[in-house]
Amino acid sequence: MFIKKALLLVLMVIGLTDAANAGPKEMLFHAGVGQRSSLNEIKQIWEKRYPDQQVNFSYKGSGYFIADITRSRQGDLFMPGEEFYMLQAQERGFVDTYNPKTDIPAYFVTVIITPKGNPKNITKIEDFAKPGIRIGMGNPKSCAIGIWHKKTFEKAGIWEAVQKNIVLSAKCIPELGNAAQHKAIDATIVWSTTAVLYLRDVEIVPIEHKYRGIIRLPVATLNFSRYKKEAENLKAFILTEEGRQIFHKHAYAIDPNIPVDSQSFCLDGTTDQDIDYLVNAARAVKDKTFPATRETVGDLIGEVERQRKTLRSGS
Amino acid sequence: MQKRFIVCSQWWPALSVFITLVVIAFYVWMVAGNWIYLGWDDTVYFFSHPRMWQRFWLTAWTSTVSCLVSLVFGIPAGYALSRFSFPCRNFFATVIDLPIVVSPAVIGVFLFGITTRFPFDWVSEHYNIYIGRNVYGVLLVQFTVTCAFCARLMKATFDMIPQKFEAVSRSLGASNFRTFFKVLLPMARNGITASMIVVWARAAAEWEGLMLFVGASEGKTDIMPFAIYLDWNGGMMGWVVSMTIVCILMAVTAMAAMRLIGGKSNVW
Repeated sequence: MFIKKALLLVLMVIGLTDAANAGPKEMLFHAGVGQRSSLNEIKQIWEKRYPDQQVNFSYKGSGYFIADITRSRQGDLFMPGEEFYMLQAQERGFVDTYNPKTDIPAYFVTVIITPKGNPKNITKIEDFAKPGIRIGMGNPKSCAIGIWHKKTFEKAGIWEAVQKNIVLSAKCIPELGNAAQHKAIDATIVWSTTAVLYLRDVEIVPIEHKYRGIIRLPVATLNFSRYKKEAENLKAFILTEEGRQIFHKHAYAIDPNIPVDSQSFCLDGTTDQDIDYLVNAARAVKDKTFPATRETVGDLIGEVERQRKTLRSGS
Repeated sequence: MQKRFIVCSQWWPALSVFITLVVIAFYVWMVAGNWIYLGWDDTVYFFSHPRMWQRFWLTAWTSTVSCLVSLVFGIPAGYALSRFSFPCRNFFATVIDLPIVVSPAVIGVFLFGITTRFPFDWVSEHYNIYIGRNVYGVLLVQFTVTCAFCARLMKATFDMIPQKFEAVSRSLGASNFRTFFKVLLPMARNGITASMIVVWARAAAEWEGLMLFVGASEGKTDIMPFAIYLDWNGGMMGWVVSMTIVCILMAVTAMAAMRLIGGKSNVW
Protein backbone atom coordinates (compact mmCIF):
# COMPACT_ATOMS: atom_id res chain seq x y z
CA MET A 1 0.00 0.00 0.00
CA PHE A 2 2.68 2.43 1.11
CA ILE A 3 4.92 1.46 -1.77
CA LYS A 4 2.08 2.01 -4.21
CA LYS A 5 1.50 5.48 -2.83
CA ALA A 6 5.18 6.32 -3.04
CA LEU A 7 5.33 5.14 -6.65
CA LEU A 8 2.32 7.24 -7.50
CA LEU A 9 4.00 10.28 -5.93
CA VAL A 10 7.18 9.71 -7.94
CA LEU A 11 5.17 9.42 -11.13
CA MET A 12 3.33 12.62 -10.30
CA VAL A 13 6.58 14.48 -9.73
CA ILE A 14 7.96 13.23 -13.05
CA GLY A 15 4.73 14.28 -14.75
CA LEU A 16 4.99 17.75 -13.27
CA THR A 17 8.57 18.20 -14.32
CA ASP A 18 7.72 16.98 -17.79
CA ALA A 19 5.21 19.78 -18.06
CA ALA A 20 8.00 22.25 -17.36
CA ASN A 21 9.66 21.07 -20.54
CA ALA A 22 7.54 23.31 -22.69
CA GLY A 23 8.58 26.39 -20.67
CA PRO A 24 10.28 29.52 -21.98
CA LYS A 25 13.91 29.75 -23.00
CA GLU A 26 15.61 30.84 -19.81
CA MET A 27 18.71 32.91 -20.28
CA LEU A 28 21.10 33.49 -17.42
CA PHE A 29 22.52 36.99 -17.15
CA HIS A 30 25.49 37.60 -14.83
CA ALA A 31 25.31 41.25 -13.87
CA GLY A 32 26.86 43.53 -11.27
CA VAL A 33 24.44 44.31 -8.48
CA GLY A 34 24.77 48.02 -9.29
CA GLN A 35 23.07 47.58 -12.66
CA ARG A 36 19.99 46.05 -11.11
CA SER A 37 17.47 48.84 -11.60
CA SER A 38 18.30 49.39 -15.28
CA LEU A 39 18.53 45.72 -16.16
CA ASN A 40 15.24 44.91 -14.47
CA GLU A 41 13.58 47.43 -16.75
CA ILE A 42 15.28 45.93 -19.78
CA LYS A 43 14.15 42.47 -18.70
CA GLN A 44 10.54 43.64 -18.49
CA ILE A 45 10.58 45.15 -21.96
CA TRP A 46 12.35 42.11 -23.40
CA GLU A 47 10.02 39.53 -21.90
CA LYS A 48 7.00 41.49 -23.04
CA ARG A 49 8.36 41.61 -26.55
CA TYR A 50 9.45 37.96 -26.66
CA PRO A 51 7.13 35.98 -24.40
CA ASP A 52 8.98 32.74 -25.23
CA GLN A 53 12.13 34.07 -23.59
CA GLN A 54 12.97 34.67 -19.99
CA VAL A 55 15.89 36.53 -18.50
CA ASN A 56 17.20 35.32 -15.14
CA PHE A 57 19.72 37.50 -13.39
CA SER A 58 22.46 36.47 -11.09
CA TYR A 59 23.22 39.76 -9.38
CA LYS A 60 26.45 39.78 -7.43
CA GLY A 61 29.35 42.01 -6.56
CA SER A 62 31.56 42.07 -9.65
CA GLY A 63 34.41 40.39 -7.83
CA TYR A 64 32.44 37.16 -7.46
CA PHE A 65 31.83 36.54 -11.13
CA ILE A 66 35.07 35.05 -12.32
CA ALA A 67 34.93 32.39 -9.62
CA ASP A 68 31.28 31.73 -10.32
CA ILE A 69 31.68 31.33 -14.06
CA THR A 70 34.85 29.28 -13.72
CA ARG A 71 33.10 26.87 -11.42
CA SER A 72 29.61 26.71 -12.88
CA ARG A 73 30.35 27.14 -16.60
CA GLN A 74 26.87 28.54 -16.99
CA GLY A 75 25.50 31.78 -18.29
CA ASP A 76 24.49 33.52 -21.50
CA LEU A 77 25.37 37.15 -20.92
CA PHE A 78 27.83 38.99 -18.73
CA MET A 79 27.81 42.61 -17.61
CA PRO A 80 30.27 43.33 -14.80
CA GLY A 81 30.68 46.74 -13.17
CA GLU A 82 34.12 47.35 -14.68
CA GLU A 83 35.88 46.43 -17.89
CA PHE A 84 38.68 44.92 -15.82
CA TYR A 85 36.48 41.92 -14.95
CA MET A 86 35.45 41.52 -18.56
CA LEU A 87 39.07 41.36 -19.67
CA GLN A 88 39.74 38.79 -16.97
CA ALA A 89 36.88 36.66 -18.26
CA GLN A 90 38.10 37.10 -21.80
CA GLU A 91 41.58 36.00 -20.84
CA ARG A 92 40.18 32.77 -19.46
CA GLY A 93 38.26 32.13 -22.63
CA PHE A 94 34.73 32.54 -21.27
CA VAL A 95 33.70 35.40 -23.51
CA ASP A 96 32.13 34.66 -26.86
CA THR A 97 31.74 38.06 -28.48
CA TYR A 98 33.05 41.27 -26.99
CA ASN A 99 34.24 44.22 -28.98
CA PRO A 100 35.71 46.92 -26.69
CA LYS A 101 35.02 49.61 -29.27
CA THR A 102 31.29 49.08 -29.62
CA ASP A 103 30.01 46.95 -26.74
CA ILE A 104 29.82 49.69 -24.11
CA PRO A 105 26.16 50.61 -23.56
CA ALA A 106 26.80 52.96 -20.64
CA TYR A 107 29.40 54.67 -18.47
CA PHE A 108 29.79 55.55 -14.81
CA VAL A 109 30.90 59.10 -14.07
CA THR A 110 32.60 59.99 -10.78
CA VAL A 111 31.05 62.64 -8.52
CA ILE A 112 31.70 63.83 -4.97
CA ILE A 113 28.98 63.21 -2.41
CA THR A 114 28.71 64.79 1.03
CA PRO A 115 26.10 64.48 3.77
CA LYS A 116 23.00 66.66 3.48
CA GLY A 117 23.85 70.36 3.62
CA ASN A 118 27.55 69.75 2.84
CA PRO A 119 28.65 70.69 6.40
CA LYS A 120 32.39 70.82 5.61
CA ASN A 121 31.82 72.82 2.42
CA ILE A 122 33.57 70.48 -0.01
CA THR A 123 33.62 71.98 -3.50
CA LYS A 124 36.61 70.42 -5.27
CA ILE A 125 39.00 67.47 -5.16
CA GLU A 126 41.70 69.47 -3.35
CA ASP A 127 39.35 69.94 -0.38
CA PHE A 128 39.81 66.27 0.48
CA ALA A 129 43.31 67.10 1.70
CA LYS A 130 42.15 69.72 4.19
CA PRO A 131 42.88 68.69 7.78
CA GLY A 132 39.94 67.32 9.76
CA ILE A 133 37.85 66.12 6.83
CA ARG A 134 36.58 62.57 7.34
CA ILE A 135 36.87 60.66 4.07
CA GLY A 136 35.43 57.34 2.99
CA MET A 137 37.59 55.32 0.62
CA GLY A 138 36.98 52.15 -1.31
CA ASN A 139 39.37 49.30 -0.75
CA PRO A 140 41.15 48.96 -4.13
CA LYS A 141 41.41 45.20 -3.63
CA SER A 142 37.68 44.61 -3.44
CA CYS A 143 35.95 47.33 -5.43
CA ALA A 144 36.63 49.35 -8.53
CA ILE A 145 35.86 52.69 -6.89
CA GLY A 146 38.91 52.21 -4.64
CA ILE A 147 41.18 52.13 -7.67
CA TRP A 148 39.59 55.37 -8.87
CA HIS A 149 40.04 57.08 -5.52
CA LYS A 150 43.75 56.36 -5.64
CA LYS A 151 44.04 57.40 -9.28
CA THR A 152 42.18 60.66 -8.73
CA PHE A 153 44.05 61.74 -5.61
CA GLU A 154 47.39 60.82 -7.13
CA LYS A 155 46.61 62.90 -10.19
CA ALA A 156 45.69 65.82 -7.92
CA GLY A 157 48.94 65.25 -5.98
CA ILE A 158 47.21 64.94 -2.61
CA TRP A 159 47.38 61.16 -2.07
CA GLU A 160 49.73 61.54 0.93
CA ALA A 161 47.66 64.23 2.61
CA VAL A 162 44.41 62.35 2.00
CA GLN A 163 45.76 59.24 3.78
CA LYS A 164 45.48 61.01 7.14
CA ASN A 165 41.82 61.80 6.60
CA ILE A 166 40.58 58.29 5.80
CA VAL A 167 38.12 57.01 8.38
CA LEU A 168 36.44 54.27 6.36
CA SER A 169 37.77 51.66 3.97
CA ALA A 170 34.72 50.29 2.18
CA LYS A 171 34.46 46.88 0.56
CA CYS A 172 31.71 47.90 -1.82
CA ILE A 173 30.40 51.16 -3.13
CA PRO A 174 26.98 51.20 -1.39
CA GLU A 175 28.87 51.26 1.89
CA LEU A 176 30.20 54.68 0.92
CA GLY A 177 26.73 55.89 -0.03
CA ASN A 178 25.31 54.67 3.26
CA ALA A 179 28.14 56.25 5.24
CA ALA A 180 27.49 59.64 3.62
CA GLN A 181 23.77 59.20 4.16
CA HIS A 182 24.30 58.60 7.88
CA LYS A 183 26.87 61.41 8.23
CA ALA A 184 29.65 58.97 9.15
CA ILE A 185 31.96 60.66 6.63
CA ASP A 186 32.24 64.22 5.33
CA ALA A 187 32.95 63.41 1.70
CA THR A 188 33.71 60.64 -0.73
CA ILE A 189 33.81 59.98 -4.44
CA VAL A 190 31.29 57.56 -5.95
CA TRP A 191 29.75 56.77 -9.33
CA SER A 192 26.90 58.98 -10.45
CA THR A 193 24.72 55.87 -10.43
CA THR A 194 25.39 55.34 -6.73
CA ALA A 195 24.87 59.00 -5.89
CA VAL A 196 21.45 58.94 -7.54
CA LEU A 197 20.23 56.36 -5.02
CA TYR A 198 20.67 58.70 -2.06
CA LEU A 199 19.24 61.95 -3.43
CA ARG A 200 17.33 62.82 -0.26
CA ASP A 201 20.23 62.41 2.13
CA VAL A 202 23.34 63.55 0.26
CA GLU A 203 24.59 66.57 -1.67
CA ILE A 204 26.19 66.05 -5.06
CA VAL A 205 29.27 68.04 -5.97
CA PRO A 206 30.44 67.87 -9.61
CA ILE A 207 34.13 67.16 -10.20
CA GLU A 208 36.07 69.33 -12.64
CA HIS A 209 36.84 67.71 -15.98
CA LYS A 210 40.47 66.76 -15.45
CA TYR A 211 39.61 64.68 -12.34
CA ARG A 212 36.28 63.34 -13.57
CA GLY A 213 36.56 59.63 -14.27
CA ILE A 214 34.62 57.89 -17.02
CA ILE A 215 34.23 54.18 -16.37
CA ARG A 216 33.27 51.84 -19.17
CA LEU A 217 30.54 49.33 -18.55
CA PRO A 218 30.86 46.44 -20.99
CA VAL A 219 28.40 43.74 -22.02
CA ALA A 220 29.26 40.43 -23.72
CA THR A 221 27.86 37.03 -24.52
CA LEU A 222 29.46 33.95 -23.02
CA ASN A 223 30.79 30.77 -24.57
CA PHE A 224 28.59 28.47 -22.49
CA SER A 225 25.44 30.15 -23.73
CA ARG A 226 22.59 27.73 -24.31
CA TYR A 227 20.61 30.17 -26.43
CA LYS A 228 23.31 31.92 -28.42
CA LYS A 229 21.03 33.63 -30.90
CA GLU A 230 18.70 34.99 -28.24
CA ALA A 231 21.62 36.16 -26.13
CA GLU A 232 23.12 38.00 -29.10
CA ASN A 233 19.77 39.65 -29.75
CA LEU A 234 19.42 40.78 -26.16
CA LYS A 235 22.94 42.19 -26.20
CA ALA A 236 22.17 44.03 -29.42
CA PHE A 237 19.03 45.45 -27.80
CA ILE A 238 20.99 46.72 -24.80
CA LEU A 239 23.31 48.51 -27.22
CA THR A 240 20.51 50.21 -29.16
CA GLU A 241 19.45 53.77 -28.46
CA GLU A 242 16.35 52.42 -26.69
CA GLY A 243 18.44 50.22 -24.40
CA ARG A 244 20.88 53.01 -23.62
CA GLN A 245 18.05 55.38 -22.73
CA ILE A 246 17.02 53.01 -19.95
CA PHE A 247 20.49 53.33 -18.45
CA HIS A 248 20.25 57.10 -18.81
CA LYS A 249 17.18 57.08 -16.57
CA HIS A 250 19.39 55.77 -13.76
CA ALA A 251 22.15 58.38 -14.09
CA TYR A 252 24.54 56.51 -16.38
CA ALA A 253 26.24 58.52 -19.10
CA ILE A 254 25.36 57.02 -22.46
CA ASP A 255 27.05 59.20 -25.06
CA PRO A 256 29.08 56.68 -27.09
CA ASN A 257 31.86 59.19 -27.76
CA ILE A 258 33.04 60.74 -24.50
CA PRO A 259 36.58 62.01 -25.09
CA VAL A 260 38.93 60.67 -22.40
CA ASP A 261 42.69 60.68 -21.79
CA SER A 262 44.83 57.56 -21.44
CA GLN A 263 43.81 57.20 -17.78
CA SER A 264 40.11 57.48 -18.61
CA PHE A 265 39.73 60.97 -17.15
CA CYS A 266 37.30 63.21 -18.96
CA LEU A 267 38.66 65.73 -21.48
CA ASP A 268 35.68 67.99 -22.12
CA GLY A 269 32.17 68.85 -21.02
CA THR A 270 30.27 66.03 -22.72
CA THR A 271 28.97 64.78 -19.37
CA ASP A 272 28.28 68.25 -17.87
CA GLN A 273 24.60 68.16 -18.74
CA ASP A 274 24.10 64.78 -17.05
CA ILE A 275 25.84 65.98 -13.89
CA ASP A 276 23.71 69.13 -13.84
CA TYR A 277 20.61 66.97 -14.02
CA LEU A 278 21.93 64.94 -11.10
CA VAL A 279 22.58 68.02 -8.95
CA ASN A 280 19.11 69.34 -9.75
CA ALA A 281 17.57 65.97 -8.98
CA ALA A 282 19.14 66.04 -5.52
CA ARG A 283 17.58 69.47 -4.98
CA ALA A 284 14.22 68.36 -6.32
CA VAL A 285 13.94 65.39 -3.96
CA LYS A 286 14.81 67.48 -0.90
CA ASP A 287 12.71 70.51 -1.87
CA LYS A 288 9.20 69.77 -3.09
CA THR A 289 8.81 73.29 -4.49
CA PHE A 290 11.69 72.77 -6.90
CA PRO A 291 10.19 71.92 -10.29
CA ALA A 292 11.02 68.38 -11.42
CA THR A 293 10.63 68.54 -15.18
CA ARG A 294 12.45 67.22 -18.22
CA GLU A 295 14.28 70.57 -18.44
CA THR A 296 15.64 70.52 -14.89
CA VAL A 297 16.32 66.84 -14.22
CA GLY A 298 16.20 65.24 -17.68
CA ASP A 299 15.69 61.50 -17.71
CA LEU A 300 16.18 61.32 -13.94
CA ILE A 301 12.56 62.38 -13.50
CA GLY A 302 11.44 58.83 -12.74
CA GLU A 303 14.11 58.48 -10.07
CA VAL A 304 13.10 61.83 -8.52
CA GLU A 305 9.45 60.80 -8.42
CA ARG A 306 10.32 57.47 -6.85
CA GLN A 307 12.33 59.09 -4.07
CA ARG A 308 9.83 61.85 -3.45
CA LYS A 309 7.21 59.22 -2.63
CA THR A 310 8.86 58.04 0.58
CA LEU A 311 11.16 59.46 3.20
CA ARG A 312 13.40 56.40 3.18
CA SER A 313 13.84 55.55 -0.42
CA GLY A 314 12.10 52.56 -1.91
CA SER A 315 10.52 51.90 -5.23
CA MET B 1 18.44 38.12 61.05
CA GLN B 2 16.25 35.95 58.94
CA LYS B 3 15.17 38.93 56.85
CA ARG B 4 18.71 40.05 56.25
CA PHE B 5 19.59 36.60 55.07
CA ILE B 6 16.79 36.71 52.49
CA VAL B 7 17.97 40.07 51.18
CA CYS B 8 21.50 38.75 50.93
CA SER B 9 20.43 35.65 49.11
CA GLN B 10 18.17 37.57 46.77
CA TRP B 11 20.72 39.92 45.25
CA TRP B 12 22.05 37.41 42.80
CA PRO B 13 18.67 36.42 41.26
CA ALA B 14 17.75 40.10 41.17
CA LEU B 15 20.97 40.97 39.36
CA SER B 16 20.57 38.21 36.82
CA VAL B 17 16.96 39.18 36.12
CA PHE B 18 18.11 42.77 35.75
CA ILE B 19 20.81 41.74 33.27
CA THR B 20 18.23 39.77 31.28
CA LEU B 21 16.06 42.86 31.16
CA VAL B 22 18.96 44.96 29.93
CA VAL B 23 19.65 42.50 27.14
CA ILE B 24 15.98 42.38 26.14
CA ALA B 25 15.73 46.17 26.28
CA PHE B 26 18.73 46.36 23.98
CA TYR B 27 17.08 44.17 21.36
CA VAL B 28 13.71 45.87 21.68
CA TRP B 29 15.42 49.21 21.29
CA MET B 30 17.17 47.94 18.18
CA VAL B 31 13.83 47.12 16.55
CA ALA B 32 12.12 50.24 17.87
CA GLY B 33 14.99 52.46 16.74
CA ASN B 34 14.73 51.11 13.22
CA TRP B 35 11.03 51.55 13.23
CA ILE B 36 11.35 55.16 14.37
CA TYR B 37 13.88 55.72 11.59
CA LEU B 38 11.38 54.38 9.08
CA GLY B 39 8.55 56.61 10.28
CA TRP B 40 4.84 55.90 10.22
CA ASP B 41 4.04 57.02 6.66
CA ASP B 42 6.82 54.92 5.18
CA THR B 43 5.82 51.94 7.31
CA VAL B 44 2.35 52.07 5.80
CA TYR B 45 3.79 52.55 2.32
CA PHE B 46 6.24 49.65 2.46
CA PHE B 47 4.01 47.23 4.31
CA SER B 48 1.16 47.75 1.89
CA HIS B 49 3.41 47.34 -1.14
CA PRO B 50 2.76 44.05 -3.01
CA ARG B 51 6.49 43.50 -3.46
CA MET B 52 6.93 43.05 0.28
CA TRP B 53 4.31 40.32 0.45
CA GLN B 54 5.45 38.66 -2.71
CA ARG B 55 8.88 38.31 -1.12
CA PHE B 56 7.35 37.19 2.13
CA TRP B 57 5.39 34.41 0.40
CA LEU B 58 8.40 33.37 -1.61
CA THR B 59 10.36 33.02 1.63
CA ALA B 60 7.48 31.25 3.35
CA TRP B 61 6.79 28.66 0.66
CA THR B 62 10.40 27.84 -0.21
CA SER B 63 11.25 27.36 3.46
CA THR B 64 8.14 25.25 3.97
CA VAL B 65 8.94 22.98 1.04
CA SER B 66 12.59 22.53 1.96
CA CYS B 67 11.63 22.02 5.59
CA LEU B 68 9.16 19.28 4.69
CA VAL B 69 11.61 17.53 2.38
CA SER B 70 14.24 17.78 5.12
CA LEU B 71 11.81 16.09 7.51
CA VAL B 72 11.23 13.25 5.05
CA PHE B 73 14.95 12.55 5.07
CA GLY B 74 15.73 13.77 8.57
CA ILE B 75 13.28 11.63 10.54
CA PRO B 76 14.50 8.24 9.26
CA ALA B 77 18.11 9.41 9.41
CA GLY B 78 17.74 10.63 12.96
CA TYR B 79 15.97 7.41 13.89
CA ALA B 80 18.73 5.28 12.39
CA LEU B 81 21.47 7.24 14.09
CA SER B 82 19.67 7.09 17.40
CA ARG B 83 18.60 3.44 17.45
CA PHE B 84 20.81 1.23 15.34
CA SER B 85 24.45 0.49 15.42
CA PHE B 86 25.93 -0.14 12.04
CA PRO B 87 29.43 0.02 10.59
CA CYS B 88 30.90 3.52 10.49
CA ARG B 89 27.99 4.94 12.50
CA ASN B 90 30.18 7.62 14.07
CA PHE B 91 31.55 8.49 10.70
CA PHE B 92 28.03 8.96 9.32
CA ALA B 93 27.06 11.03 12.33
CA THR B 94 30.06 13.28 11.69
CA VAL B 95 29.21 13.68 8.03
CA ILE B 96 25.66 14.60 8.90
CA ASP B 97 26.97 17.22 11.30
CA LEU B 98 29.14 18.82 8.64
CA PRO B 99 26.65 21.28 7.14
CA ILE B 100 25.93 22.59 10.64
CA VAL B 101 29.55 23.19 11.46
CA VAL B 102 30.88 24.56 8.18
CA SER B 103 29.77 27.91 6.87
CA PRO B 104 26.88 27.91 4.38
CA ALA B 105 29.24 29.67 1.98
CA VAL B 106 31.22 26.44 1.75
CA ILE B 107 28.03 24.61 0.88
CA GLY B 108 27.31 27.12 -1.87
CA VAL B 109 30.71 26.44 -3.40
CA PHE B 110 30.33 22.67 -3.20
CA LEU B 111 26.91 22.77 -4.80
CA PHE B 112 28.54 24.26 -7.88
CA GLY B 113 30.58 21.10 -8.05
CA ILE B 114 27.71 18.65 -7.99
CA THR B 115 25.19 20.51 -10.11
CA THR B 116 27.46 20.35 -13.14
CA ARG B 117 27.67 16.55 -12.84
CA PHE B 118 25.40 13.54 -13.06
CA PRO B 119 22.49 13.37 -12.32
CA PHE B 120 21.94 17.12 -12.31
CA ASP B 121 23.33 17.72 -15.78
CA TRP B 122 21.17 14.89 -17.07
CA VAL B 123 18.06 16.36 -15.45
CA SER B 124 18.78 19.79 -16.88
CA GLU B 125 19.31 18.35 -20.37
CA HIS B 126 16.40 16.00 -20.32
CA TYR B 127 13.76 18.05 -18.61
CA ASN B 128 15.13 21.48 -19.41
CA ILE B 129 15.25 22.33 -15.73
CA TYR B 130 18.14 24.55 -15.03
CA ILE B 131 19.06 23.86 -11.42
CA GLY B 132 21.00 26.65 -9.87
CA ARG B 133 19.85 30.11 -10.79
CA ASN B 134 16.18 29.72 -10.12
CA VAL B 135 13.85 28.71 -7.38
CA TYR B 136 15.07 25.08 -7.61
CA GLY B 137 18.50 26.37 -6.66
CA VAL B 138 17.05 28.15 -3.66
CA LEU B 139 15.31 24.96 -2.58
CA LEU B 140 18.48 22.94 -3.07
CA VAL B 141 20.57 25.30 -0.94
CA GLN B 142 17.94 25.43 1.78
CA PHE B 143 17.55 21.68 1.74
CA THR B 144 21.30 21.06 1.89
CA VAL B 145 21.68 23.29 4.90
CA THR B 146 18.58 22.18 6.79
CA CYS B 147 18.56 18.45 6.10
CA ALA B 148 21.55 17.78 8.31
CA PHE B 149 20.21 20.12 10.90
CA CYS B 150 16.93 18.26 10.87
CA ALA B 151 18.57 14.83 11.20
CA ARG B 152 20.56 16.13 14.14
CA LEU B 153 17.49 17.43 15.94
CA MET B 154 15.60 14.22 15.19
CA LYS B 155 18.40 12.13 16.65
CA ALA B 156 18.19 14.21 19.82
CA THR B 157 14.42 13.74 19.93
CA PHE B 158 14.58 9.97 19.51
CA ASP B 159 17.46 9.72 21.99
CA MET B 160 15.18 11.12 24.66
CA ILE B 161 12.49 8.47 24.18
CA PRO B 162 13.24 5.35 26.24
CA GLN B 163 13.70 2.25 24.17
CA LYS B 164 11.50 0.09 26.41
CA PHE B 165 8.32 1.31 24.71
CA GLU B 166 9.51 -0.05 21.39
CA ALA B 167 10.59 -3.27 23.05
CA VAL B 168 7.09 -3.72 24.49
CA SER B 169 5.49 -2.96 21.14
CA ARG B 170 7.66 -5.46 19.36
CA SER B 171 7.15 -8.11 22.03
CA LEU B 172 3.41 -7.78 21.39
CA GLY B 173 4.02 -8.72 17.79
CA ALA B 174 4.24 -5.39 15.99
CA SER B 175 6.75 -5.09 13.18
CA ASN B 176 9.60 -2.57 13.29
CA PHE B 177 7.81 -0.48 10.72
CA ARG B 178 4.56 -0.48 12.65
CA THR B 179 6.31 0.24 15.94
CA PHE B 180 7.99 3.25 14.40
CA PHE B 181 4.77 4.76 13.07
CA LYS B 182 2.40 3.76 15.88
CA VAL B 183 4.59 4.11 18.94
CA LEU B 184 7.71 6.15 18.33
CA LEU B 185 6.39 8.87 16.04
CA PRO B 186 3.43 9.83 18.26
CA MET B 187 5.78 10.02 21.23
CA ALA B 188 8.18 12.20 19.28
CA ARG B 189 5.43 14.53 18.10
CA ASN B 190 6.40 17.48 20.25
CA GLY B 191 10.04 17.15 19.37
CA ILE B 192 9.25 16.92 15.68
CA THR B 193 7.07 20.01 15.77
CA ALA B 194 9.67 21.97 17.64
CA SER B 195 12.43 20.92 15.29
CA MET B 196 10.25 21.63 12.30
CA ILE B 197 9.88 25.24 13.34
CA VAL B 198 13.59 25.63 14.00
CA VAL B 199 14.40 24.03 10.65
CA TRP B 200 11.88 26.26 8.91
CA ALA B 201 13.39 29.37 10.48
CA ARG B 202 16.86 28.21 9.50
CA ALA B 203 15.78 27.73 5.89
CA ALA B 204 14.14 31.15 5.82
CA ALA B 205 17.34 32.76 7.10
CA GLU B 206 19.66 31.16 4.55
CA TRP B 207 21.75 33.68 2.68
CA GLU B 208 25.43 32.93 2.16
CA GLY B 209 24.91 29.76 0.17
CA LEU B 210 22.35 31.53 -1.99
CA MET B 211 24.65 34.44 -2.56
CA LEU B 212 27.34 32.19 -3.98
CA PHE B 213 25.30 29.51 -5.67
CA VAL B 214 22.13 31.19 -6.92
CA GLY B 215 22.61 34.90 -7.27
CA ALA B 216 19.40 36.88 -7.27
CA SER B 217 16.65 37.23 -9.76
CA GLU B 218 14.09 39.79 -8.76
CA GLY B 219 10.79 38.22 -7.81
CA LYS B 220 12.08 34.67 -8.30
CA THR B 221 14.91 33.89 -5.95
CA ASP B 222 15.10 36.90 -3.69
CA ILE B 223 13.97 35.45 -0.39
CA MET B 224 13.96 37.93 2.48
CA PRO B 225 17.59 37.87 3.66
CA PHE B 226 18.79 38.04 0.08
CA ALA B 227 16.37 40.84 -0.79
CA ILE B 228 17.77 42.81 2.13
CA TYR B 229 21.25 42.47 0.71
CA LEU B 230 20.10 43.50 -2.77
CA ASP B 231 18.22 46.54 -1.57
CA TRP B 232 21.10 47.56 0.66
CA ASN B 233 23.22 47.61 -2.46
CA GLY B 234 20.54 49.59 -4.24
CA GLY B 235 20.50 52.23 -1.51
CA MET B 236 16.87 51.49 -0.70
CA MET B 237 17.06 51.88 3.06
CA GLY B 238 13.29 51.94 3.37
CA TRP B 239 13.04 48.44 1.98
CA VAL B 240 15.99 47.24 4.01
CA VAL B 241 14.56 48.47 7.30
CA SER B 242 11.01 47.34 6.67
CA MET B 243 12.13 43.89 5.58
CA THR B 244 14.39 43.47 8.62
CA ILE B 245 11.36 44.26 10.74
CA VAL B 246 9.34 41.58 8.93
CA CYS B 247 12.21 39.11 9.41
CA ILE B 248 12.33 39.79 13.12
CA LEU B 249 8.56 39.45 13.43
CA MET B 250 8.77 36.16 11.54
CA ALA B 251 11.50 34.88 13.84
CA VAL B 252 9.64 35.95 16.96
CA THR B 253 6.46 34.25 15.74
CA ALA B 254 8.32 31.06 14.92
CA MET B 255 10.02 30.96 18.29
CA ALA B 256 6.82 31.73 20.17
CA ALA B 257 4.99 29.04 18.21
CA MET B 258 7.75 26.60 19.05
CA ARG B 259 7.45 27.35 22.74
CA LEU B 260 3.68 27.00 22.65
CA ILE B 261 3.52 23.81 20.60
CA GLY B 262 6.68 22.04 21.57
CA GLY B 263 6.97 23.56 25.01
CA LYS B 264 7.32 20.20 26.69
CA SER B 265 10.14 19.08 24.50
CA ASN B 266 13.66 20.20 25.25
CA VAL B 267 15.26 19.57 21.91
CA TRP B 268 16.27 23.17 21.70
